[in-house]
Amino acid sequence: MFDLDFQKISSLLSFSPNDPLMFGSGLFLFLFFFLLLFYRLFANSKNARILLLIVFSLYFYYKASGLFFLLLILNAAANFQFGKWMGDATEQSKKRMILVLSLIFNLGILGYFKYTNFFVEIVGNIQSGSFDPVDIILPIGISFYTFKSLSYVIDIYLEMMKPTKSFRDFSLFVFFFPNILAGPIDRASKFLPQVQQDYNITRRDIAMGLMLIMMGLVKKIMIADYIGLNFVDRVFEVPLRFTGVENLLAVYGYTLQLYADFSGYSDIAIGIALLLGFKLMENFNYPFKAKSIADFWRRWHISLSSWLLDYVFRPLQINFRNWRVAGNIASLIITFTLIGLWHGANWAFIVWGLLHGVYMSIGLLTRKSKNNIFNKLKLADTKLLGFGQIFITFNLVAFSFLFFRADSFETALNILNQMFFFFKPEVFSQFIAGYTPTFILIAFGFLFHFLPGSLLDKSVSVLEGMPLVVQALILAVVIWSVVQVQYADLQPFIYFQF
Amino acid sequence: MISERLKKIICNELNLGVELVEMDENTEANEVPGWDSLNHANIIVAIEKDYGVRFKGLEILKCKNIGDLQKLVDSKTTGQK
Repeated sequence: MFDLDFQKISSLLSFSPNDPLMFGSGLFLFLFFFLLLFYRLFANSKNARILLLIVFSLYFYYKASGLFFLLLILNAAANFQFGKWMGDATEQSKKRMILVLSLIFNLGILGYFKYTNFFVEIVGNIQSGSFDPVDIILPIGISFYTFKSLSYVIDIYLEMMKPTKSFRDFSLFVFFFPNILAGPIDRASKFLPQVQQDYNITRRDIAMGLMLIMMGLVKKIMIADYIGLNFVDRVFEVPLRFTGVENLLAVYGYTLQLYADFSGYSDIAIGIALLLGFKLMENFNYPFKAKSIADFWRRWHISLSSWLLDYVFRPLQINFRNWRVAGNIASLIITFTLIGLWHGANWAFIVWGLLHGVYMSIGLLTRKSKNNIFNKLKLADTKLLGFGQIFITFNLVAFSFLFFRADSFETALNILNQMFFFFKPEVFSQFIAGYTPTFILIAFGFLFHFLPGSLLDKSVSVLEGMPLVVQALILAVVIWSVVQVQYADLQPFIYFQF
Repeated sequence: MISERLKKIICNELNLGVELVEMDENTEANEVPGWDSLNHANIIVAIEKDYGVRFKGLEILKCKNIGDLQKLVDSKTTGQK
């Protein structure tokens, strides 16, 4: 009997494809509880604490991706070495050579796993019209940790930071389990100093961490998974079976689902890190409150957009500066196409990115004339204008996510076709009657989003004032209610595929 | 110290009144009203034009604040005098 149990436990704990240790799963909560317990026990021994985190992080990554954890170790070792060489180099030409080598190494590995089939397909189509895909499994999180490590080498090159002398600290930066699978793509310059700090978290940190974890679970399981499985997936599968009004709601629903899924994940990651004494980078800041596409990108997937702003857009823009506006536009188009391509080797992502590049360029070209018109009409800084800008920005974003989600251009076109030629607004009341919980959740999701940000601070203060037992009780109640609403098995986080 | 000349070029490019803007060595671009990532290049071009110098891309990217930018300008102009 013991043998049987032992086998069960070992199979539960070992790597199985498509079954990462997801935040929110029972097993994760169980293991995390023990991690926190030992972590607090070792609070005064820095070495033991860091070692514990490294071992747990490696295990967490092994559980999600099996032997690919060796690739992760290679990534850390190589980039630590690149950083050291870069720091030791005195001549600019040598620094440049090390930068190029690290780019080839990091982007080469990422490219091999992520883009080989895309290029094989293009070449195959040109040559013979057919292609045989190469059997390559994408190591989970590779896009995130590759960018994380790269930022370290580039920041040393740009003299924004000095290389760390500790391979142990750098490994923890690369392996750190809360953000290894889907970000936030933290910067070494912000993370490494925290490794050396004592474990000294305040009551406020604990309350904030718990609040973020609870909010993340609600966003992910109650909102994203529910509306995805019950409504959005069905419409996107056969849009022609639904009217235009339902297709429109599905596109809005998907926009909310993606936000709730990814920002929910980020909230949990940031919350977990906070309980371990680490402050990770903010990843979302109420993106649907954005009044322009540029504003949207300062609020959506901030750790990726700021990465590309610092390491792609700025260098391009400086190089193209003599072309004036044309230089800015070229830099925008290239940067946003790369944002699309970062998500995957797929024409839909490229179109999605390109669309945002075009939005940004139009915004840039019309910036002055728009401001003049607003001033003339005395609309500048009015609530009416703000509302209009938020509405238009949201619709532009939702339109772009239509391509992000649709399996093919045909599906996207079908959805648009239904919206424009088969709208049938009278179906709206039937939709509310037929999909009441979905409708309530979509409405609740958007309402929640548009509440003032200060409300979060206030709720954290209330939670902070409660005894630990009550806090734990609230956490348990939230987990319990989330499980009640859980429609099916926990769905993988959408951003795990990137 | 940030020279009046540099401050004036920046403010002109951003349509700001020179007397209304506080700037010292540690001021970062995002602390100056209107200095965002899109018009960053215009400001750099305006500085290059006014001083008649040309910066290398990497030199500009290494600037963390206006103090660094002033040092860069100084390093290019001292030889000219």
